[in-house]
Amino acid sequence: MRTIWTVLLVVALGAGAACRRPPAPTPDVVAVATATLPGDPLDRAWQAAPEHVAALLLQDLVEPRLMTPSTAAVRVRALVSGDEIALRLEWADVEADDRPGPGQFPDGCAVQFPQKAAASAPDPQMGQLGQGVDITFWRADWQATVNGRGDTIQELYPNATVDHYPFDARSLERGSDAQRDMATRYAPAVGAGNVRGAWRTSAVEDLVAEGPGTLSPAATTVSRGGGVRTADGWAVVIVRPRPEGLSLQAPATVAFAVWQGGAGEAGARKMRTGWVPLSMREAP
Amino acid sequence: MARVHNWQIGREMSYWYPESRPEKQFAAVFDTNKCIACQTCTLACKTTWTSGKGQEYMLWNNVETKPYGSYPLAWDLKLLDMIGGSQWNGGVYEGQTIFESAPAGERVMGWKPEAQDYAYPNVGEDDCAGQVDGGAEFSLPHMAWFFYLARICNHCTYPACLASCPRGSIYKRPEDGIVLVDQGRCRGYQECVKGCPYKKVFFNPMTGTSEKCIACYPKMELGLQPQCFVNCIGKIRMAGYLSTPDKARADNPLDYLVHVRKIALPLYPQFGLEPNVYYIPPIHVPTPFLRQIFGPGVDAAVAAYRNAPNDDDLAGLLSLFGSTESVMTRWVRQGQEVAGVDDRGTTLVRVPLTEPVVERAAFDRVYQIMRHNCP
Repeated sequence: MRTIWTVLLVVALGAGAACRRPPAPTPDVVAVATATLPGDPLDRAWQAAPEHVAALLLQDLVEPRLMTPSTAAVRVRALVSGDEIALRLEWADVEADDRPGPGQFPDGCAVQFPQKAAASAPDPQMGQLGQGVDITFWRADWQATVNGRGDTIQELYPNATVDHYPFDARSLERGSDAQRDMATRYAPAVGAGNVRGAWRTSAVEDLVAEGPGTLSPAATTVSRGGGVRTADGWAVVIVRPRPEGLSLQAPATVAFAVWQGGAGEAGARKMRTGWVPLSMREAP
Repeated sequence: MARVHNWQIGREMSYWYPESRPEKQFAAVFDTNKCIACQTCTLACKTTWTSGKGQEYMLWNNVETKPYGSYPLAWDLKLLDMIGGSQWNGGVYEGQTIFESAPAGERVMGWKPEAQDYAYPNVGEDDCAGQVDGGAEFSLPHMAWFFYLARICNHCTYPACLASCPRGSIYKRPEDGIVLVDQGRCRGYQECVKGCPYKKVFFNPMTGTSEKCIACYPKMELGLQPQCFVNCIGKIRMAGYLSTPDKARADNPLDYLVHVRKIALPLYPQFGLEPNVYYIPPIHVPTPFLRQIFGPGVDAAVAAYRNAPNDDDLAGLLSLFGSTESVMTRWVRQGQEVAGVDDRGTTLVRVPLTEPVVERAAFDRVYQIMRHNCP
């Protein structure tokens, strides 16, 4: 009798666990249709989407190459709502690198889609001439800025001392156009209209490319996103327009990249995937 | 990699892009014998260009004391260690340049300086090579030495920063050879910072882009020398344009110093970049050390410079250093006077070979007092 109760208990516990268990990992990325897209990587709504574990490869196709592997894999979940897709990327990185500086590189990740749905996908390494790719890029230092890190050198180097900035001159009224003009003179990237040089209001940036070395900012960044530290790395959500051609009937493709700042990774020095099939299905 | 000719190392070498020389090449000659390390050049540059957020640590121009000074820390020693000793056969470099020794996956051999490497901008200041034992300073020649090395971007013919950038964000202006970072295109990967052996590209953490000396191109376009040149109180610098050796003109001041008289030499020519800032080497430093820094032409350059008092042309041209803010594209000596001339043939400045000397009488008759420095 005792044995029977034990068996029943085990079965019951097993059934309960099965009810709470997230969908099993899938060989490709499956975006599940949902009513709303969670912007928080820790939102429980992500449990509705199956996880795809994408093995990462060295970017060793074009110089400068990454010759030593770092991040092994990125775990991906996807949700779709209306015209938007949300992707949750999670990867292991024991050290958070979110400060830019000489010889210092922030952690980051990116998702990439072909600009046009076509029979043959563009080259997965940044696309190719005439077959461009859309990219959304998240970086840990931008996240830190959005989270409240201030716009001073002391935020990066607490012991830094500065005698004087020309735009702090007493003759310039604070917040005036004249003061802003003076500050821009000494921030050449800002003066040249480089969105990367401007003060960050978003942790993500939309980009386009037609091959290695051609990466450029998109006309505007429409994507949203944010990342948080997990117990052993980063979890990042990127919400962007649904890729062209993706529907319940038609699959698309997506690619991923991860930069581990502590390993000196930036630009072409990254861990990346090839094209990964991306399909869509209704919520169960 | 393409094959290009580098006259400074006397041979062809590998470079990321094909040879493409500008219409004219911005260049400069620095006379190290006249530098007193007052850092006026450093401040002139700093106040003009790098007073913004994220630029606090940047010194597009710096002056370091050799042998121990370096900014960033050990910028040259680290690369010399990586590249190995330099082997010259006459004027031909037989070792490998930083392009030829690039490891797999890299465009050039380089290293990445970190924040700490910029923390001691004047390390080694006035430290001499060796101890000055008791009384030794009274004997000549001194066995201990140091000299000041003023440095800006070399606006190289084969820039490693340009070759390193995977985005093509760095370009060499075809009209004057000045090397610039396109601030609108740079994405701050720091490949250029790693690649430049002279470490004259700096990452700005506030804008996320890399920045460097621009040779004060808005001034050069107006025929005026850069800020660090015209503010030099030691008058050690002359800016202008340099021809290739086969097209050297004796009436071009820089051609005359570099190609005709060969008294001004490139900085670490063995790196392979064909740098365009040339140095008249210090005459009191052991030649093995100078050969490592300036290449095999050191002995002849020092001998020619030492003989300048007996050489009216050379002495005359050296007198034009620091004599005008304008760029002198030509020069001419007429008897005991030298003149700096511009492209239009306009005489910009005239300088006597020997400055008139006025000896003041020890007794001041106006004030009826002896002229003494102390009471």
